[in-house]
Amino acid sequence: MENIRNKRNRKFRTREYYGNSASDYHLLPFRFIELSESKEILVNEVGESLIVPRGTALKIAQRCIAENDPIIPDLISRFFISRKPIPELIDVLATRYRTKKSFLDSFTSLHIFVLTLRCNHSCHYCQVSRVTENREDFDISYNDIDLGIDHMFKSPSKKLTIEFQGGEPLLAFDKLEYAIERITRLNKDFKKELSFVVCTNATVFNTKNLQFLKEHNVLISTSLDGPEFLHDANRPKTGRNSYQLVLNGINYARKMVGHDQVSALMTTTRLSLDYPIEIIDNYLENGFNNIFLRPISPYGFALKNKTKNIYDDKKFLEFYKKGLDHIIKINQRGRYFVEDYTAILLKKILTPFCTNYVDLQSPSGIINNVVVFNYDGRVYASDESRMLAERNDLTFLLGHVSDSYESIFYGKKSKELSKYWSNESLAGCSDCAFQSYCGADPVYHYASQGDFEGFRPTSGFCLKNMGIIKHLFELMDFRKEEVMPIFISWISN
Amino acid sequence: MIDLVCLGKAFDLQKEIVAKITGIEDSRVVNCKSLNGDLVFLQSDTSINPDLANQKVVVGQKFLDQLYLGDVLLLKPNGFVRILFRVKSNHNSLFVTEMCNSNCLMCSQPPKNADDIDYHYTINEQLINLIPKSTKFLGITGGEPLLLESKFVKLLDDCQNLLPETHIHVLTNGRYFAWPKFVELFNGIDKERIVFGIPLYSDFDENHDFIVQAKNAFNQTILGLHNLGRNEFRIEIRCVLHKLTFERLPRLAEYIYSNLPFVEHIAFMGLEYTGYTPYNSKLLWIEPHAYSTELEQSVLFLNSVGINVSIYNIPLCLLTPSTRKFARNSISDWKKEYLEECIGCSHLNDCGGVFGTSKIQSAYIKAIID
Amino acid sequence: MEFVCVNPSLLKISLSKEVYTIDVVYKCFYWYSGKYSVTINEGLSTIEIDLELGEGIQKVDGLIKRLKIDLIDFKTRDIVSKETVNIRELLVAKAFAHGDEFDESPPGEIADTPTNC
Ligand code: SF4
Ligand code: SF4
Repeated sequence: MENIRNKRNRKFRTREYYGNSASDYHLLPFRFIELSESKEILVNEVGESLIVPRGTALKIAQRCIAENDPIIPDLISRFFISRKPIPELIDVLATRYRTKKSFLDSFTSLHIFVLTLRCNHSCHYCQVSRVTENREDFDISYNDIDLGIDHMFKSPSKKLTIEFQGGEPLLAFDKLEYAIERITRLNKDFKKELSFVVCTNATVFNTKNLQFLKEHNVLISTSLDGPEFLHDANRPKTGRNSYQLVLNGINYARKMVGHDQVSALMTTTRLSLDYPIEIIDNYLENGFNNIFLRPISPYGFALKNKTKNIYDDKKFLEFYKKGLDHIIKINQRGRYFVEDYTAILLKKILTPFCTNYVDLQSPSGIINNVVVFNYDGRVYASDESRMLAERNDLTFLLGHVSDSYESIFYGKKSKELSKYWSNESLAGCSDCAFQSYCGADPVYHYASQGDFEGFRPTSGFCLKNMGIIKHLFELMDFRKEEVMPIFISWISN
Repeated sequence: MIDLVCLGKAFDLQKEIVAKITGIEDSRVVNCKSLNGDLVFLQSDTSINPDLANQKVVVGQKFLDQLYLGDVLLLKPNGFVRILFRVKSNHNSLFVTEMCNSNCLMCSQPPKNADDIDYHYTINEQLINLIPKSTKFLGITGGEPLLLESKFVKLLDDCQNLLPETHIHVLTNGRYFAWPKFVELFNGIDKERIVFGIPLYSDFDENHDFIVQAKNAFNQTILGLHNLGRNEFRIEIRCVLHKLTFERLPRLAEYIYSNLPFVEHIAFMGLEYTGYTPYNSKLLWIEPHAYSTELEQSVLFLNSVGINVSIYNIPLCLLTPSTRKFARNSISDWKKEYLEECIGCSHLNDCGGVFGTSKIQSAYIKAIID
Repeated sequence: MEFVCVNPSLLKISLSKEVYTIDVVYKCFYWYSGKYSVTINEGLSTIEIDLELGEGIQKVDGLIKRLKIDLIDFKTRDIVSKETVNIRELLVAKAFAHGDEFDESPPGEIADTPTNC
C-alpha cells in the first residue's frame, strides 16, 4: 500500500495557515432579543445562547464583524455561523436538536387518573368543582380504570408516570389500591419503568393507606401554600385548622414512607403575592429542599372567583423575582434549595438535554406527553382541559375511555390541536429568541384568550415566560459569579 | 526515574527476540524465554560468563536490578534491550507505530514517517501472548494507532481474547472515527473493556487545527467522538494545558458538555517539556500557576454537571486548593520525579510529582506546609 | 422613515418599501397591536402605519425611538431567517431521519481518509 500519509511534510505551519478571513461565513438559524440597552441575547436552534453587545446580530447578518473580533470563535463554536454553507458538524447539531426534542420519544408518558371528585376541603381557588364527601357518583368506576390502564400500556413510552388526582384521591382509596395493584401486575409483562404519584391534601392519611403507598413506592404530592395565615386563608375547612392538618399529615407521611417521598406544591393566590419571602421560609422551615413558585392557572373553577384570583401577571413576575432572589441568598448561605420552575428553564438554557415539563414544550405536552382519565370515563388532553370541562367547556375532550386508542390519541381533536402546538409556527413566537426554552400551550391560550393560537402581546403565558427567562439571563450576566455556581448545582441532577 | 532501555553487547543473537523473564539467578544474571522457546541470558558484567559460552547472551545490562519475573523484553542483535512490559507497573502500553497523521506542536514523542506498522505489529502480537492473564490495564499508543486500520482491530481483538480481564486504553486522535464505515470495523469489540482517550485542544476549530498542525482535524475528531458516542463506545477526552489552550479552556469544558455529554471522563494534562515542546517553547510554555484560574473554572464546571474530570501531570503545589482533589498520580512511574523543593511537603504522599523527562520545571514548585 | 403625530392619540408612520418589506412591518407591529390599534396599508413605494391609542399616546419620542430599534431588529431577524431556511430544514430532517439517509462524508483530503471509507 502506497501510503500518502508517510510522506507528509513535518514543518510547522503558522496560525494563519489554519485560519480564515472573518467576513467569510454563512449564517446558521438563530434568534435574538434585547437584554439591556447595551446587550442582546443570541439563541440558536438548539438553545445555545450567547450574550453579546447590542447590535451584534445586525453586524453578523450584514457581515460587518471585524476580522480579529474575538467573538468569531464563539460564534463558530456555538453554531451561530459556519465557514461552510452546510456546517461540517451538522450531524452533531442534528443530534443536539433531536436530544432537545427527545421528550417526543416518550409519547404520552404521564397518565392522570382522576379517581374521585369528592373532597373534604373547599379551597376557593380549587380548579375543579368540589362536591360533598359522600356521593359515590363522583368516583371513577372499576371498569373505567381497567380501560384507562389498557390504553396506558399501549403508549410506546418506556417510562410511565401514573398520577392519581381528585378531589381527594385517598377518599377513594379502594380505587387507588385496585389501580396500583392491577398496573403492577400487568407490568410484569410490559416491563415499563413505572412511577406512581398521588396528589393529596394530606389530611386523610392513616396507617393503612400510608403503608400501601410505601409498599408501592408511591410519591406523595401535597399542597402547602406557605405560612399558616396564608394557607388557611386559601383553604378554609369548616371548623378545623387546615395548615396544622397538612403539616401533621406531611410529618406523619414522612415518618411512615420516608422524608424524600413527600413533596409539596404551592398555589399562588392574590394574597400570596405579597409574601414570597414568608412562603419560601416556610418551606425551608418545614424541611423542603425545593419550591415551585407557580402562578394560579386561568382554568376551571378558579376563574369564577375573579376578584380574589385574577391578578396582574406583572405582579406575579415581581413575586417570582423577589422569591428567586431570596432563594439565591439561601443557597449562598450554603443551604441547597431549588426553585423548580427556574431549574426547568435552566435545564433548557444550560444543558443539552430536554425536560419533561408538560407546560413548556413544543410540540405542546398535551396528548404528546400527558392524558387524563376523568372520574366519569372521559378522556382529556391535559389536566387543565378537564378543569375547563368542569365548567362545561368540552373543547379538549378527546373521547371516552371506552373508545379505541387510535380515536383518542390520533382522532380529529388531536389533529386539530396539532396545528397550534408548535411555537415554531405561532405568530410572535416564530421569531422569539426564547422559542426553544418556551412552549406552546393551546389550552392556556384557549382558556385565557379564547383561541388555540393565542395573542402573544397580551398573553399571560408569554408575559410570564418572557419575563422570567429574560430575568434569568440578566442574573447570569450581571451577577454571573454569584449565581452560576448555584444555577449549575440545580441542573446537575 | 527508571531506564527502560540499555545498550549492551549481544552474543549469538541473530534476530530480534521478544522474551519474558523466566529466571533471576542473582543480581548479575537473568534469563528470559521467547514464545518459540529461545532462551536468552542477560548479564550485568561486560565480559561473558564462561558457563554461558554456548548460549544467547547479552552482556553489560545495567538495569538488571530493576527486572522482575514476568517482565517482557525486546532484545536486538546489536545488544540493545528495551523493557516492553513491567509486571510491577500499572502503566504498560503497546507501542504500535511512530507514524501519525497529525503533528502536534507539543508532541512528546515526535512522529516519524517510515512505515513501521508491520514491525511493531509482529512484536506486539508476541508481547500480548507473553504478558500475564491477570493484567488489569494495558494502554495502546503511538504515533496514531488508527493508522493500522484493520490490523488495529485485529490487535484489539487478540488482546481481548488473550487477556479477558484486561482493561484497554487507546490513545488516538480519533480522526479516522469520523468515517462511520471505519467505526463499523470495531463492532465486534467488547465495548465495556476499552476506552478511547482522544485529545481535544479547543472548542474552536482553527485553534485545534493549528495545535495539531492538521487542517480539518478538529471537525474530524468531533465527528469521530460523535460517531463513537452514537455507538456507545467509552470515551475519555484529553487536553494538554499550555499557552494555546488555557484561554478557551472553560469554553472547551462547556463545549464538551453541550456537544459530547456522553464522554465519561475528561483529563486536563500538564505539559511535558520534551519532544517538540522545547522547540515550540515560545508558543507553548506557560507557568501552570498562570492558568490555574481557567483550569479551576473548567474542572469545577465539569464536575458539577456530573462529568468525571481529572488533572494529570501537575504537581499539587501548582493547583488551587479546590482543584487538588482532581489531581491524579498520572506520571508513569518510570518518568516520575520529586524535586529538592518537595522536601518537607505535607502532600508528598498524594502528589504525582513531576516529569523527570521535562527539561525545565515550573519555578513555582514549593513544599506545601499545612 | 417618517413619523407624524397627527393628534395626541394617533401616530402615523411611513416606511419605504425599499427598506422594509411588508413581512417585517407586520411582524414588528404585531407586538404593538396589544396596546395600540394598528392599521397597516401598503402603498406603491411606501407602507403606511397608523398607531392609535384612545386615551392618548404618552411619551411619543420614546415610542418612536423604540419603534426605530424594533424595526431594525425585525429586519435583522428577517435576514437571518430567510438566509437560513434551507439549513434549518436540513437540520430538522436530519434530526428525525432514520439511519444514515442524510449522512455527509467527513471533511478532509483523500490523504486523510482511511482505506475503503
Ligand atoms: S410565548 Fe412569548 S416568550 Fe414564549 S416563545 Fe412565544 S413569544 Fe417567546
Ligand atoms: S512540593 Fe513536590 S511533593 Fe509537594 S506538591 Fe509540589 S511537587 Fe508535589
